[in-house]
Amino acid sequence: MEILSLLGQGFVVALSPLNIALLLMGCFVGTLLGALPGLGPVNGVAVLIPLTFAFGFNPTSSMILLSAVYFGCMYGGRISSILLNIPGDEPAIMTTLDGYPMAVQGQAANALAISGVASFIGATTAVIGLSLFAPILARAAIHFGPADYFALYILAFATIGGIAGVDPRKTLLSALIGLLLATVGLDPISGVPRYTFDSFHLYDGIEPIVALVGLFAISEILMLLEKSLKNRPKAIPVSSWLPQWGTIWRTRWAMLRGSGVGFVAGVLPGAGASLGSFMSYVAEKQTSNKKGTFGKGDPRGVAAPEAGNNAASGGALIPMLSLGVPGSGTTAVLLAMLISLNVQPGPLLFERQPDLVWGLVASLYMANITLLFLNLPMIGIFTRLMMTPTWALMPIVAAVTFVGVYGISNSVFDLKMMVFFGLVGYLLRKMDVSLVPLVLGLLLGGDMERNLRRAMSISDGDWSILIASPISVGLYIVTVAFLMLSVWLAVRDHRQAKSAPLTEE
Amino acid sequence: MSIRILGVALFVIAALYTRQAGTYAVTFGDVLGPTVFPIILGIPMMLLSASLVVFPSGQVDWPAPQRIRRQLAALAVLVGYTITLEPLGFPLATFLLIALIGIILGGAPWRSLLLGVIMAPALWALFDQVLGLPLDFLGDLFVAH
Repeated sequence: MEILSLLGQGFVVALSPLNIALLLMGCFVGTLLGALPGLGPVNGVAVLIPLTFAFGFNPTSSMILLSAVYFGCMYGGRISSILLNIPGDEPAIMTTLDGYPMAVQGQAANALAISGVASFIGATTAVIGLSLFAPILARAAIHFGPADYFALYILAFATIGGIAGVDPRKTLLSALIGLLLATVGLDPISGVPRYTFDSFHLYDGIEPIVALVGLFAISEILMLLEKSLKNRPKAIPVSSWLPQWGTIWRTRWAMLRGSGVGFVAGVLPGAGASLGSFMSYVAEKQTSNKKGTFGKGDPRGVAAPEAGNNAASGGALIPMLSLGVPGSGTTAVLLAMLISLNVQPGPLLFERQPDLVWGLVASLYMANITLLFLNLPMIGIFTRLMMTPTWALMPIVAAVTFVGVYGISNSVFDLKMMVFFGLVGYLLRKMDVSLVPLVLGLLLGGDMERNLRRAMSISDGDWSILIASPISVGLYIVTVAFLMLSVWLAVRDHRQAKSAPLTEE
Repeated sequence: MSIRILGVALFVIAALYTRQAGTYAVTFGDVLGPTVFPIILGIPMMLLSASLVVFPSGQVDWPAPQRIRRQLAALAVLVGYTITLEPLGFPLATFLLIALIGIILGGAPWRSLLLGVIMAPALWALFDQVLGLPLDFLGDLFVAH
């Protein structure tokens, strides 16, 4: 019952006029960003963060806006999957498998409605899970000491890269690059300037927001330029947006199964929404594909991955809020925003700032209802806006990106830094180095070093304190097991030719 | 080959980083000081990047030369924007940014110019006038300080 009263207080926060306005705007922008091929949750949220800073919203309102965008992207991604056969964002890849065939067979309205309802069921499952489990996890994590946090961060780096298909050395190197960058600037404990090259711009360290906007948004522009720009497919024309409700009802079990599988995938570290939708689809195919209809326009093949995608993206908020360790790329970016606003996610957040946590949770319930409305009756708007050509869209995105970053500090140096990180991000992505560990390293590096030094001060220089508590030993065991699993998978994939990498960006 | 070069580059960075870490003086009252953590990072990074040089993994498909030229042009425009923003002022610099990136992305030149002409002042009006984010209308070149 305690949860209900906290949630009640959350609704009081979420129902303030500013927060409602931000929520509606976030849902709309998010669905649109999701639907537009080329712009997904990570770059969409990255572009918007500097703007929320520039406007000086408080952390709760910023978080409500950006979480609405995040959820909206996950809803919107399916629209272009179904109508264009191009996933609007990465987790929507699985939806193309059955969604596009359905649209070709004249069932576009059904496919969109099923996936819309499935998104709602999945995301709502995740938010209910968030309300129930996040406080429990946070309460357990309150017993963590500095050495345990150090171990937790190590675990986060080992797992964030995902488990399938990627060389684990590249993931670790990416994390190390991020940690390296995090040590730039004045050392907070001793006051020694490190790696500043005598440039006063670097004394405050590298602003994570500037780096990640470059890494995700600017590198995306470079990525786009290597694709062919001319031949864009036409969307499948839809004569009527009215779905048949019976078809939706028949997929109810697929939606519920997908939500369950996706939610578990989302809560686990390192597995984000892409893996959630993938696992949901595979699981549904194994249970329901009796007549071999999957891949040819089976409604359940649309329902399951969409439910899984949304359940996983919501579930990924749980470790981010309660432990301060994000489970996916977009939650890493959200974490960056909270840290930059001087809010430290983790177990203490639930005690010190219940308004933020429960205001966010309450607004996520509201976001789901808003998004269901936007994505069913109002879907026509998005299918029209989705066809905005790239040449008109990306220049404006670039301009808004610059405005946002310039708005934070009025510093041209930050803009140059952002472009530089854009180039670095592009090169690393080309070489299959995931950027998420890098961002995580840059974000958590300072805290990781502080916890290590605090632990060593407590033990007066005795390294054995790092493995003195059962919590840290447990975390190290999980880390080693996970690394061994990913090495084993990498070796196996290497032998079985190449399978498509499935990383959460 | 690209992966090997990446490995070499990261190795050099890690080695210089680790060497530099040794120069930071240890202060009293702080057991580890500013030196130890960077060394803890630098050494595994050297090992991992060296292993990438010896056993590279994955293949990189670099784009065709003509596409690389397009990317370089876009990069030049982005860098150009960071240089011209303050001298030219927001609307003019942003007009150039939008129009040029639009052309590089394959938009028809007159359409891209039109987009820039409309969007640059519109963005200025939206952010500066409506949302209250100060952006110079005229740059340092036109305004005597």
